[in-house]
Amino acid sequence: MAGQGVGRRQVLRIMGAAAAAAHFPGFSKWGFACGHIGNAALQIKPAVYRPQFFTAAEYAMVERLVEIIIPSDGTPGAKEAGVAEFIDFMVANDPDEQYRFRTGLTWLHAHSEETAGKKFVDLAPEQQTSLLEPLGFKDKSRPGQEAGRRFFSMIREYTVTGFYTSEIGFKELDNPALKFYAESPECPHKDDPEHQHLSQMTS
Amino acid sequence: MAKKIYDVIVIGTGAGGGMTIKTLCEAGLKVCALNAGRRLDPEKDFRYHRMPWDMKFRGQDDPKRRGESFGYMDNEYTKAAWDHEIPFTTPPGMKWMWPRCNAVGGKTNFWGRSSARFGDIDFKAASLDGYDVDWPITHDEISPFYTRVEKMIGVASTVQNRPSNPDGSYLPPFKFRCLDRILEAACNKVGVPYLPDRCAQLTQPHEGHPACHFCGECTTGCDVGAFFSTPYFLLPKAEATKNLELRTDALAKNVLVDQNGHATGVAYIDRKTKQEVEVYGRAVVVAASCIESSRIMLNSKSRHWPTGIANSSGQLGRNLCDHLYGESARGYLPQLLGQPSFPDHVADSTIAWMPRWQNLKDPHEEKFIRGYSIYPDGGCEEFPGFATEMDGFGSSFKREVKRRYPAPVSFGIQAPSLRLDTNYVDLDPEVKDPYGIPVARIHFEWDENVLKMWEHSKQVCAEVLRAAGGVLEGAGDAPEIPGWSLHETGTCRMGNDPKNFVTNRFGQTHDVPNLYVCDASVFLNCTDKTTTISILAFSLRTSEHLIENFRQGEHKA
Repeated sequence: MAGQGVGRRQVLRIMGAAAAAAHFPGFSKWGFACGHIGNAALQIKPAVYRPQFFTAAEYAMVERLVEIIIPSDGTPGAKEAGVAEFIDFMVANDPDEQYRFRTGLTWLHAHSEETAGKKFVDLAPEQQTSLLEPLGFKDKSRPGQEAGRRFFSMIREYTVTGFYTSEIGFKELDNPALKFYAESPECPHKDDPEHQHLSQMTS
Repeated sequence: MAKKIYDVIVIGTGAGGGMTIKTLCEAGLKVCALNAGRRLDPEKDFRYHRMPWDMKFRGQDDPKRRGESFGYMDNEYTKAAWDHEIPFTTPPGMKWMWPRCNAVGGKTNFWGRSSARFGDIDFKAASLDGYDVDWPITHDEISPFYTRVEKMIGVASTVQNRPSNPDGSYLPPFKFRCLDRILEAACNKVGVPYLPDRCAQLTQPHEGHPACHFCGECTTGCDVGAFFSTPYFLLPKAEATKNLELRTDALAKNVLVDQNGHATGVAYIDRKTKQEVEVYGRAVVVAASCIESSRIMLNSKSRHWPTGIANSSGQLGRNLCDHLYGESARGYLPQLLGQPSFPDHVADSTIAWMPRWQNLKDPHEEKFIRGYSIYPDGGCEEFPGFATEMDGFGSSFKREVKRRYPAPVSFGIQAPSLRLDTNYVDLDPEVKDPYGIPVARIHFEWDENVLKMWEHSKQVCAEVLRAAGGVLEGAGDAPEIPGWSLHETGTCRMGNDPKNFVTNRFGQTHDVPNLYVCDASVFLNCTDKTTTISILAFSLRTSEHLIENFRQGEHKA
């Protein structure tokens, strides 16, 4: 069990013992976040990720696509969260999806050469965005690009999955998952059952 | 060497087996329990406090396993607890999903914890609407057992005075979240109930068990035991009596009989050595879960029981029922758009329920008979599933995910299938498991009545969502496939007439007086309620009946 979340397990044992004796003594109502469970400091991380499935050219496209789908814009995005690595890892383990990814990337490559005369990764950011808008926005879609739209939906779904299951993605949403509470959390708006008068959060 | 004879052999350690084992051991009987899988080590096997990024596949599981998964409970967090070695079959054109947790404690390790009692509206449903037959029991008769079980396991709820839901003995309820308050107000307008569910999750310390810490990942296993499971609540008590011998990796094959056709023990496969082993007892309790129990009994063929033990009625394996599950509506509540994130996900979908409101005054007021319940849920989940289907990309997309995060709601239906002659379990004449034992063949299709409930629920839930000011985005295209709910019932139904029922009203088989059944297979049908608390209550009653039979000298060697 070395390195396997000893800290959090210990916390749980303490909670269990304390709770058996009395109501949780040491925890405030809104609890605390659990820290990272793995022993990150002991993990040896390679300086550069080596793709397991994609070719170098394909991987460069995937990296750029995920960055466009969930950009870094004041808060970190899919690039910072390593989403391209996640996608490569999942697809490498998923023979059913490999063909769809490869043909999708091939389609985008050909589409970019055909319409802009350049590789997708070599286009200027605005050119990349305008190339992708018909694929990613329903109200901008164009006939003849169905294959591209299907591919874009697929890579967007993988990007969402990879990003919002990452620590960065959790922080982006202020994800309350896996926090501990002494009592079951209750709606704080007692006087407004229909919640018609909540003040909107400014972002 | 004289062979060892236990008082009772119990097959299975889930809700039914666990309750039986504890009750018998505390009464001084020597019990040998067989469990098809291993013991779980909560420290290693319960990964529920791991963040997704601590899991190799982010909790999504190895894509290569995707086709093998038995549904939402069989995932990267709980794998190794579900049985993938023993196959089953379905006839052409039929589908069934059969998640079997073979670990000690069975499905109680991961169950959904909703714990409503059955009532007389369920037990006497046939008298009310003319379909099928009544249960051989009343709520008055089973109520004391429910009360004892509720005190034993701890159920959080409130007294609700609903005609279809007898009240019990409860811990303080879960508190309502924002989405519950909004939907409650909407249900008041529409005229359907919205109430705290009956949830077996400890809202305060109970009987030596710690209170819940509301992390919300119950269905991947709780390593402090803050909700009922047999390994935390029942087996330690049984083991403390020193009357229990628990054999793990022991896959029950058939019940052994003597020259009179009475049970003498059980033959099982030791999955580690792959050898067949026999164990002997004065009585046998089958509690392997509905379909597996009937498979074991159907495989127990002998001169006396050519079609399976205790099957003179021909009803063994018949009358399979299941809960139809599905998403009756999904959408979001605009009031909650852009609100700060809130810990909504602290009990999966069992904080609130919309308990059966149909056919209460008149059993025929709807286009279907009987009734269903709805489990609403939503808010900030661990993963924003709605975002996988959102349009667009870029900063506006990212902002919209965050804005929508607190607002999703969904409504899950739990609707009972009706008993049909065409829904049953038999043995596949050709396919055998890796140990050469014939496998279960599951014949099942949804009946028209339950599909009418499904259509009805989609209309009502859409209406509730509209009344809440919500935006309806859709519903499930179809119900989940049969078996998904893990609530299969029937196959060894209880009744007074030996010609038509496998067991008597105490779960003792009519044909073989020292053979008992303690799981949902004795139920006559499923209701709009979940099964576990009723398995516990009925098993407690059956166990005490068995003990009384021992005291009367009935089960001597």
